Amino acid sequence: MLSADKIQPSKHPLAEYVHRLESGEALLKDSPENVLEVVGILKSYGIVLDAYSRNLIYISKNQFLVFFPFFKYFNGDVNFQKLFRHWWHDRINFEYAEYCMKAMFWHGGGGLDSYVDTPEFKQLAEAAIQAKFKNNIFILGLHKLFPEFLPEQVRMMSYYSALGQFWRVMSDMFMSLSDRYDRGEIKTIPQVVQHILDGLVADASKPITYAVKIKGKTYDILPKSAGLTFLMDTAVPYVEAVFFRGTPFPGTISYNAQAYQIPLYQSDFTYGALYADPLPIGGAGIPPTQLMQDMRHFIPEYLHAVFRKSKRNEDDLRVQICQTFQKSMFCVTTAAIKGLAPYPLETTDLEQQQANRQYLETWMNRLITSRVENVNG
Amino acid sequence: MLSALIWIPFIAAVLIGFGPRSLDSRQYRSISTIVSSILLVLTIAIAVQFDPSQPGMQFTEFVPWVDWLGLNYQLGLDGLSLPLLFLNSLLTVIAIASSSPTLDRPRFYYALILLLNVGVTGAFLAQDLLLFFLFYELEIIPLYFLIAIWGGQRRGYAATKFLIYTAVSGILILIAFLGVVWVAGTESFDYEQLRSAAIPLKTQLPLLIVLLIGFGIKVPFFPFHTWLPDAHVEASTPVSMLLAGVLLKLGTYGLLRFGIGLFLEAWAYLAPWLAIWAAVSALYGASCAIAQQDMKKVVAYSSIAHMAFVLLAAAATTRLSLLAAVCQMVSHGLISALLFFLVGIVYKKAKTRDVNQLRGLLNPERGLPWIGSLMILGAMASAGIPGMVGFIAEFLIFRSSFPLFPIPTLLCMVGTGLTAVYFLLMINKVFFGRLSDAVTDLPPVRWGDRIPAIVLSLFIIVLGIVPNWMSRWSEPQIASLVTDYGRPHVSVNERVSMTRD
Repeated sequence: MLSADKIQPSKHPLAEYVHRLESGEALLKDSPENVLEVVGILKSYGIVLDAYSRNLIYISKNQFLVFFPFFKYFNGDVNFQKLFRHWWHDRINFEYAEYCMKAMFWHGGGGLDSYVDTPEFKQLAEAAIQAKFKNNIFILGLHKLFPEFLPEQVRMMSYYSALGQFWRVMSDMFMSLSDRYDRGEIKTIPQVVQHILDGLVADASKPITYAVKIKGKTYDILPKSAGLTFLMDTAVPYVEAVFFRGTPFPGTISYNAQAYQIPLYQSDFTYGALYADPLPIGGAGIPPTQLMQDMRHFIPEYLHAVFRKSKRNEDDLRVQICQTFQKSMFCVTTAAIKGLAPYPLETTDLEQQQANRQYLETWMNRLITSRVENVNG
Repeated sequence: MLSALIWIPFIAAVLIGFGPRSLDSRQYRSISTIVSSILLVLTIAIAVQFDPSQPGMQFTEFVPWVDWLGLNYQLGLDGLSLPLLFLNSLLTVIAIASSSPTLDRPRFYYALILLLNVGVTGAFLAQDLLLFFLFYELEIIPLYFLIAIWGGQRRGYAATKFLIYTAVSGILILIAFLGVVWVAGTESFDYEQLRSAAIPLKTQLPLLIVLLIGFGIKVPFFPFHTWLPDAHVEASTPVSMLLAGVLLKLGTYGLLRFGIGLFLEAWAYLAPWLAIWAAVSALYGASCAIAQQDMKKVVAYSSIAHMAFVLLAAAATTRLSLLAAVCQMVSHGLISALLFFLVGIVYKKAKTRDVNQLRGLLNPERGLPWIGSLMILGAMASAGIPGMVGFIAEFLIFRSSFPLFPIPTLLCMVGTGLTAVYFLLMINKVFFGRLSDAVTDLPPVRWGDRIPAIVLSLFIIVLGIVPNWMSRWSEPQIASLVTDYGRPHVSVNERVSMTRD
């Protein structure tokens, strides 16, 4: 018989994961293989994120209101060698970073989403627009005719910058995780989660700001006074937009919105990374061939050794990367769940446990159709 | 020189058959590949020396054999047999090279494949009716064992059915041959001598009908086809390739060589009925293919439909249509071999050919993208998409047959349209969509599995772009089939008026 002051077992379909989180574990099962895979893949992800971050920040600063940014992926260094490499496609697919930025921009959420609709932002954006197109009667005339177009571009640039800043932190966090693993300090999945959580908490209040320099003068777009911070205004909306919601992709699976194959509300979307089918069919979730293609250049040798053991060797490398990447994303999600929990998840206080239970079951409702069981299978 | 094509594989078959047990399957495969490659090189050398502008037989060889029986060892090569000879040599190399490296009883297997080559080569070269019959019967024995020993679960049933059907086919052909020698009053089975014999139409007709049924079983045409799907389904991939690619051609070759060659008037008389038979067979084969759930059966029924086009062209008996018939034999040989090979790879990797279980095999990461792409190419070629050999052959057939037999030709054209239907249905189910959960863990496809298919695909494309490389061997010589020996060539108009009468 269960005592009255002890919380009852959850009856949620994903009760196993609720209990796992309550006992201090992670959504991903703890095993040395999982630790190796997660750390290895996050190392390569960290390297890729570093490149994405630099490019997003470069675009936000240097391609501000450039209507035809032909060389936006070149970070200001345009030469034939880079051009041929770009066309050859053996390069970092910065398009993926833009996809994530657009997903965040579209799904919104957090303080940034609210701020870009404030009169203050519009005023700041207008100042930058006027400075950028000073003496350009044609563009200013068009701006008068279509007053929402250029501010919308500035909003998008703000998201470029915000995501770039977010990924800067995440990239460093993943690289330091790899370093700690190499030093033997990381041995379990809960330790991986804790490392990420510590990183998120350490930078939680880091301000997110954005300013552009036009003709030698700096124009604030997201001033520090706006009070935008790393955790609540970029990390949380990013997780929501990229991990959970995502966007339906055209591919061999065609979605017919009129036949209600796409949810009516964006908040019900489940096309994010946690739901993605690793097989590249253009189905739900992240576009695997881009991110996975980028990561495959930076896979550490110990992870290559794991991939080579599979039946197809590394023939299906991108699928294997995607499966491993999904494991790591469940670790990041665990860190986010832990970080946002109303009380420490290991609390022994019944009331706090009940509040946590409700909180966790709400998260689990969203994970029912995710690949959490596949990655633990 | 022609004898080398028969005796080299025969000697090699004997040596391999009694070869040392210490050599493993892979080594026997290498030896057999070398032997068959030598035969291919020899065939190419013969083709280079062959003069297409000279009608009649070339490289003839004659050795008296059994005088009292009228049987002579008599070989020759003309524009009708050369393309098929090349096809046989090419497909033998590919079939051997693509055989499993871990076969049971490899000595017997490769000896049988080489003996099969001997039988088919001999039949294409024989200029003596009885010699042809001997080679024709010879190829049945190795094929029976190849299906019965290395076949699928119902191999015994399929092999026996094949044996019974083809034995009946052989008996009927022998009856027709004996009959023609008897009514011609000749003392030998010499083909050229028999061609020049004047046989009345009323005598020709029953002999031709017997011959038609005999070769009709081999091709096969509806309703003598039932052995073929079973044989294909149970045969291993290399054997299926040889069966569809070359062995069925023995039937159509026999019809052209002996049906038209010996009984031209009767052939012309029956031609409208043959065209209808072709249309029925084509539509029947195509309709059955649509209903199949086994990929191999789809290709097998497709073979029945496409071989019927050869009968349509043969029925028209014009220079163009006979050339078209030869082109269709080559085209079908290449395309069906490719399709059977690819289906074999799918089966080898996925362990099933059931179209309801397979899905998404074109998946670039975990599927069979090369195999799927080549399958689409093969299906396009089979459906007669321009730029590939199938288009050339089928266009020539329909172009040459339509003025004579418009309705059967149109029905056959519907049949070729249905090719796209059943292959697209199959491809859509098997290769598109998300990879089926049942087959997500497919083993990788090695280059060794791809190269034979790539070689066949190259032939299909090259001959589709430069069809002259295929037709130049036969074009000047095909005419001799219908105009030689002072016999009046039955013109199109005459034939049509005969039909009306």
